[in-house]
Amino acid sequence: MSEKKIHKDQKYIDGLLQNNSFIIQSIYDKYVPKVVNYIKQNSGSADEAQDVIQETLITIYNQASQKKLQLTCPFDAYFFLLCKRKWLNELKKSSNKEVTINEEVLSKDDGTQELAFETSVFGEKQALFSEMFNNLGKACKDLLTATFKIKSMEEVAKSLGVTYAYARKKKSLCIGKLTELVQGSPKFNQLNS
Amino acid sequence: MEDKNYILFESYLSGELSSDEVAAFELRLNTEPEFNQAFNTYKELSSFLENKLENEEASAAFEANLKKISDKHFSKDELVSEGKQKSKVFKFYKYAVAASVIFFLGLFTFNQFSNPTYSDFDNHGAISLTVRGEQNQQDLIKIAEEAFNAGDYINAEEALIDLIKQDVENIELKLYQAITSIELNKFDVADNLLEDIKNGNSAFKHKATWYHGLSKLKQKDHKACVDILKTLPEHADDYEDAQALIKKLD
Repeated sequence: MSEKKIHKDQKYIDGLLQNNSFIIQSIYDKYVPKVVNYIKQNSGSADEAQDVIQETLITIYNQASQKKLQLTCPFDAYFFLLCKRKWLNELKKSSNKEVTINEEVLSKDDGTQELAFETSVFGEKQALFSEMFNNLGKACKDLLTATFKIKSMEEVAKSLGVTYAYARKKKSLCIGKLTELVQGSPKFNQLNS
Repeated sequence: MEDKNYILFESYLSGELSSDEVAAFELRLNTEPEFNQAFNTYKELSSFLENKLENEEASAAFEANLKKISDKHFSKDELVSEGKQKSKVFKFYKYAVAASVIFFLGLFTFNQFSNPTYSDFDNHGAISLTVRGEQNQQDLIKIAEEAFNAGDYINAEEALIDLIKQDVENIELKLYQAITSIELNKFDVADNLLEDIKNGNSAFKHKATWYHGLSKLKQKDHKACVDILKTLPEHADDYEDAQALIKKLD
């Protein structure tokens, strides 16, 4: 992680993390219209813009809660870049759609690019991890859910009717299984390269 | 990767290895790229699972709140561009604004001369419950909403309790049950529910604090009311009302 100074717009990140309606509302008032315009000008609809924006904010929320995201650039540019990137990915996915892209002329320094890139990769990894978690067998899913919700392995073992040692071992093997699923997916290698 | 490696990863991460074992482990990290890569993925997944499963309640609350704000934002956009199509929503806003103007006017004039009471604050607004369940819950939700909004708290309570049975993790429902309990003077039930929500991590945490204060106000326990309201942080929706109330009671 870089040692750069935290931008004053960190308040938006903190506000999202605290689920502060006032802050969320102000993001919609101040920064969302620009994104909607961009998406509408680039083959998208208002509904699609709404989804992209919502997913982007959820990604930022997750990164903030999981990785203590620290904003080193203005929120405006960071948020816009993330939404833009996400939208371009959507377009690529459904490439049967006729794509017309207007490159925008917003100037952004490398710091913003870098941070937005980090967040995009984080978001895609989250999506991949969730997908792979759902591909696990039911026994593993139940065990892992219990493990991370209940915290105490003794209680987990008790609630599942197994011994402590068995629950412990099972936990590592289930995360191991998940590790293999993730490493085996082409998407992961793409993201990690 | 062999199973025993995953067991080793877990022991390393939970700090259960001896210093010799740690040294051996770290040597392997430096010399075996495959081992290193598997370990890093394992670690990343552990932290992903921890976050996903531990904070499920908080992130579900965030997503629900976000969706609400987003829907409101985008329906307003449509209003501007599509004219009268959503006039029903618009009308509702007008009523809501009118009602709150009257409410505050009333509050203002009334409170000049009297001690604040619970009834000064019992305007709960119209509720609209977040639907996350199956079709068979829809009817119950409708009953709960209509009864609550009409001030029929007996039936609202009944419907809410049934809904909570089907969705025990739903904090929003519990908050509304607590409000109906205050209305019905079942203070023990209300205070217990609110206490739980307050100590949790959901988006309704501050609302619960506010209502916990109001519950005490209705019980005429002004000291408890003030103490509770003082814990509301500045960014809470009800912060200003709470400050005004504290001033009057102190």
